[in-house]
Amino acid sequence: MEEEVGGEEYLFKVVLIGDSAVGKSNLLSRFARNEFDPNNKATIGVEFLTQELEIDGKMVKAQIWDTAGQERFRAVTSAYYRGAVGALIVYDISRKTTFESVKRWLDELTTHCETTVARMLVGNKCDLEDIRDVSVEDGKSLAEEEGLFFMETSALNATNVQTAFEMVIREIYSNVSRKVLNSDSYKAELSVNRVNLVKNGADSRKSRMNLSCCAG
Amino acid sequence: MGDGLRATAWKLLLGYLPPSRDLWEKELIENRLKYAKLKEELLVSPSQLTRKKVGALSYCDHPADGVVAGPLKRHEISEEDHPLSLGKASVWHQYFQHTETAEQIDRDLQRTHPDLKFFSGDSSFSRKHRESMRSILLLFAKLNPVIRYVQGMNEVLAPIYYVFSTDTNEQNAANAEADSFSCFVRLLSDSVDHFCEQLDNSAVGILSTLSRLSELLKANDEELWRHLEFTTKVKPQYYAFRWITLLLTQEFNFQCIMRIWDSLLSSPYETLQDMLLKICCAMLLCLKSRLLSGDFVANLKLLQNYPDINIEHLLQVARDLSSDPSTYRLSLTL
Repeated sequence: MEEEVGGEEYLFKVVLIGDSAVGKSNLLSRFARNEFDPNNKATIGVEFLTQELEIDGKMVKAQIWDTAGQERFRAVTSAYYRGAVGALIVYDISRKTTFESVKRWLDELTTHCETTVARMLVGNKCDLEDIRDVSVEDGKSLAEEEGLFFMETSALNATNVQTAFEMVIREIYSNVSRKVLNSDSYKAELSVNRVNLVKNGADSRKSRMNLSCCAG
Repeated sequence: MGDGLRATAWKLLLGYLPPSRDLWEKELIENRLKYAKLKEELLVSPSQLTRKKVGALSYCDHPADGVVAGPLKRHEISEEDHPLSLGKASVWHQYFQHTETAEQIDRDLQRTHPDLKFFSGDSSFSRKHRESMRSILLLFAKLNPVIRYVQGMNEVLAPIYYVFSTDTNEQNAANAEADSFSCFVRLLSDSVDHFCEQLDNSAVGILSTLSRLSELLKANDEELWRHLEFTTKVKPQYYAFRWITLLLTQEFNFQCIMRIWDSLLSSPYETLQDMLLKICCAMLLCLKSRLLSGDFVANLKLLQNYPDINIEHLLQVARDLSSDPSTYRLSLTL
């Protein structure tokens, strides 16, 4: 929130989290640059990209923070969660252990940024149907249980990548504009910080619809 | 610098080779033997180990005529060491943990310098290199159970292993794995605390090192420091975490990395960490005008994707810096 610049109307901070080697960095490079690098280096610490989108005629700039997956980095990377208003929690559909870690990642998110309102569970590598280890149903039901959006993606063949990011960003946008309609003080605050979100996380969680949308 | 010369220089600078040349051969033979023994003891799976024990016994136990009468003999396995035992001390528990680490290492070795044929691809030599690096990292993880394997250690190992296995002396090249292991341990002894989560907030942890970088920048260029820290709020955590924990191995091309490491390892009056911080600070100073005109986004993108630069110039800037004020203060009080 503290690092806004430029003249965009909205600036949202989004974090990408999940176990190592689930494809976070490739999801981001697919979204921001339409590229996929089969030999991406492991992310150490955080990496950072921005992407602009037009929503309802407004320019929205997303600041996306890609984090290291290994447990050791959590203490360090969690600092980057501050001010995040959206999160994509990523697992690899061909490795069950990465799906089993999702709850720990959610806890992590709750601990470090209570304002996060738009959360999406992403089952990446859905091109690896032959060696699938997590069913679509398991993904969906976890998402429903936790009140998350859900989508399966493939950074490799670009399936659903754009859609997943856009959905999270639209959700943030609609949360913000809903809040703006309801509160003048919030509006004032928003014009100062531009990245600002629903202070009362629980409230918005209740009102959020679950949206499931899967490939394959 | 020729690769044979560089390998020997690094071994000397890391203290792996003693200063006196007469002792080199003896030292190398001993260390290589030690490594082979360590590897055999620690990198063998429990079932292989059991088979081995039985194999050793069977010499005296086996009936001379080779006829097996009655129930077949089974391997002796204590309850504690059964694969389904939940005990933490169980060799299998340790082995499964080891497997998890091994898988993580494999995933990272697949993406270590993916642009270099030496490390990546399906060639038999790149496989062999990954296999050796895997053994080194696994062995380190086993010997350091608190730290185990942390992502990025693969990157720190890569230059050492590359330099040693391209040594023009064939015998040295053939023993690159053993020599790399010892030198990797020596190199990490100075910076291993950065890999340790428990120490993040301590005086030797990564956060403290990051603030030393900030101090160093402030002491050398307050204008740039102010612009980064306050005007654009680009904090060292955002870009220098990787610079420091990986000893700059993801910021430059491989030739440049090796050149930088020559300086890191050979600075006569300061530790590797102090020299590293100076180079990091110089990296900022060399981009001063661009950073001063950049905002948060532009600066962060620039520093996370450091541009091509004349390395000799960068190192000269680093050497010309005045020292880190906090170390200076420390040395005065001692």
